[in-house]
Amino acid sequence: MAGTVTSAGAAGASTGEARYRRIYVWQRPIRLFHWVNALAITALFSTGLYIASPVLTSTGEPYDNFVMGRVRQIHFVAAFVFAIAFMWRIYWFWFGNTYARSGFPYVWRLAWWKDLFRQAFDYLRLDFGHIHLGHNALAGLSYTIFIIALGWAQMFTGFAMYSESNPGGFFDGLVGWVLPLLGGSFRTHMWHHLFAWIFATFAIVHIYIVILDGRQYRNGLISSMIMGRKFVRVDDEDESG
Amino acid sequence: MSECPPSRPTTYDVLTQHGVSRRDFIKFCTVTAAALGLEPTMAGKIAHALQTKPRIPVLWLHGLECTCCSESFIRSSHPLVGDVVLNMISLDYDDTLQAAAGHQVEEIRKQIIKDYPGEYILAVEGNAPTKDGGVYCTIAGEAFTDILLETAEHAKYVVAWGSCASNGCVQAAHPNPTGAVPVKELIHDKPIVNVPGCPPIAEVMTGLLTHLLTFDRLPELDREGRPKVFYGQRIHDKCYRRSFFDAGQFVEEWDDAGARKGWCLYKMGCRGPTTYNSCSTFKWNDGVSFPIGSGHGCIGCSEANFWDNGPFYERLSAVPIPGVESTPEQVGKVLAIAAGGAAAAHAVSVAIKKAKDGKDADSKGDAGAAQA
Repeated sequence: MAGTVTSAGAAGASTGEARYRRIYVWQRPIRLFHWVNALAITALFSTGLYIASPVLTSTGEPYDNFVMGRVRQIHFVAAFVFAIAFMWRIYWFWFGNTYARSGFPYVWRLAWWKDLFRQAFDYLRLDFGHIHLGHNALAGLSYTIFIIALGWAQMFTGFAMYSESNPGGFFDGLVGWVLPLLGGSFRTHMWHHLFAWIFATFAIVHIYIVILDGRQYRNGLISSMIMGRKFVRVDDEDESG
Repeated sequence: MSECPPSRPTTYDVLTQHGVSRRDFIKFCTVTAAALGLEPTMAGKIAHALQTKPRIPVLWLHGLECTCCSESFIRSSHPLVGDVVLNMISLDYDDTLQAAAGHQVEEIRKQIIKDYPGEYILAVEGNAPTKDGGVYCTIAGEAFTDILLETAEHAKYVVAWGSCASNGCVQAAHPNPTGAVPVKELIHDKPIVNVPGCPPIAEVMTGLLTHLLTFDRLPELDREGRPKVFYGQRIHDKCYRRSFFDAGQFVEEWDDAGARKGWCLYKMGCRGPTTYNSCSTFKWNDGVSFPIGSGHGCIGCSEANFWDNGPFYERLSAVPIPGVESTPEQVGKVLAIAAGGAAAAHAVSVAIKKAKDGKDADSKGDAGAAQA
């Protein structure tokens, strides 16, 4: 087992029989990334809903109000936060501990596929057997699709639309080609909006699974994303990975 | 005045023949320089070019189209003299405008190709249907596709007038029964300028021709082959209602208070934020108005696929799921509700299993689930 064991045999389980060890899994940058991401996506989704369908109407003269302008500003700032955190996470994939890479879809490895199906069937059959310290294959795959792939899609479409306020500028050169590729700016808006809803769908499933998983395995999953340490039963240790 | 042989008079020669004064001519040059975004001193260069260069022969072809581009063009108002533009170029072939008819006309086209190879401008209004050998548009017994390719072979520049020629427009909209394709998909070896719009603004059309005539090269084009000077910005970015957008003041119904106050038409489906054109700068009909100025949203007529982007009064286009007219919002809500429902159902089954396990094996305790 890789990872740093910081305190062994400390906490007993509620039954008083099983013995747990605390293992440092999520390093600080990973935890920071997770919560920055959560906040940024929440901000992006809620401001995005307003931008697409502005329900608040301000009264008075336009020079007294800047509602849409401010909401768009928050959206853009959150987008830059998301993008920078995203790039940082890519860096940490290479320079973090082994768990920082545990979510990678190792599609060429038979063990990865076995783990994927075992985890999926475990959830479906309500049969909770195997404990992972890093990401299991199913979790890793879902983050790869719903955070990494979707994140790239949102950044490309989002910054392409952002570039439209300054044609010929830096972002136009960087991602402006996305607009004609998707059939114009109008359709790019549609894709960006649809992808945002997939984020929302993912968030629902993610939060549910995390609560479920943490409850069933007694591994301190939720607190691990705050404190960094997961619990593993001493007699399960040979199984973990 | 002319340095050209009498057979090929300059624009200025023709203008003076038509009684245009020197003063009006210089005015036209100044206005055109301003419209092209050039520095004031360039007006002199335009005047010089129009006085020294022979008029460019222009072959103006009409394919599948509605002639709104021609209608717009002949109403150009900024060139102060009504017919200045028609005199500026040597419009040798335009089956809509010319007096000659029938075989005579086709002879002229072939003669120009022979006499001025590599010198004439091919202006294309409309596009070419490619299905079934191009039978859906024939002129004088010939398929328009063939006429287009034949004429383009020796052209100096190709100007794609309007949305039809630039990006397909209505006849190329789904399901495109005639296989109509924009000019850029048929002609690959010539410099093409796309001038989209349904129709393009008259001053944009004359401005482009003046640029070609004056500088003898294409203006700076953007990624989609449109002149940057006219298509460099979104309508939204120069819209006089932009302040209402930023303030969050939107028209909700066509007859509400906001509509009367001239608030932003964003929620009524205005395509201004996604449309590149000069409408909010030049306006139409001698600067009288433009759609948003008249209280209706932009329909994005100069953008590719604007017919296929869903209703003109919707903010977001439909999700392209075959057979389903869904907005992203609806698809997203279904997905989110499905995910929430699945999570809830799963949670309930976990609870049921827990209850059962509890009855079966009380002694296993909490940690039992992890060992199964």
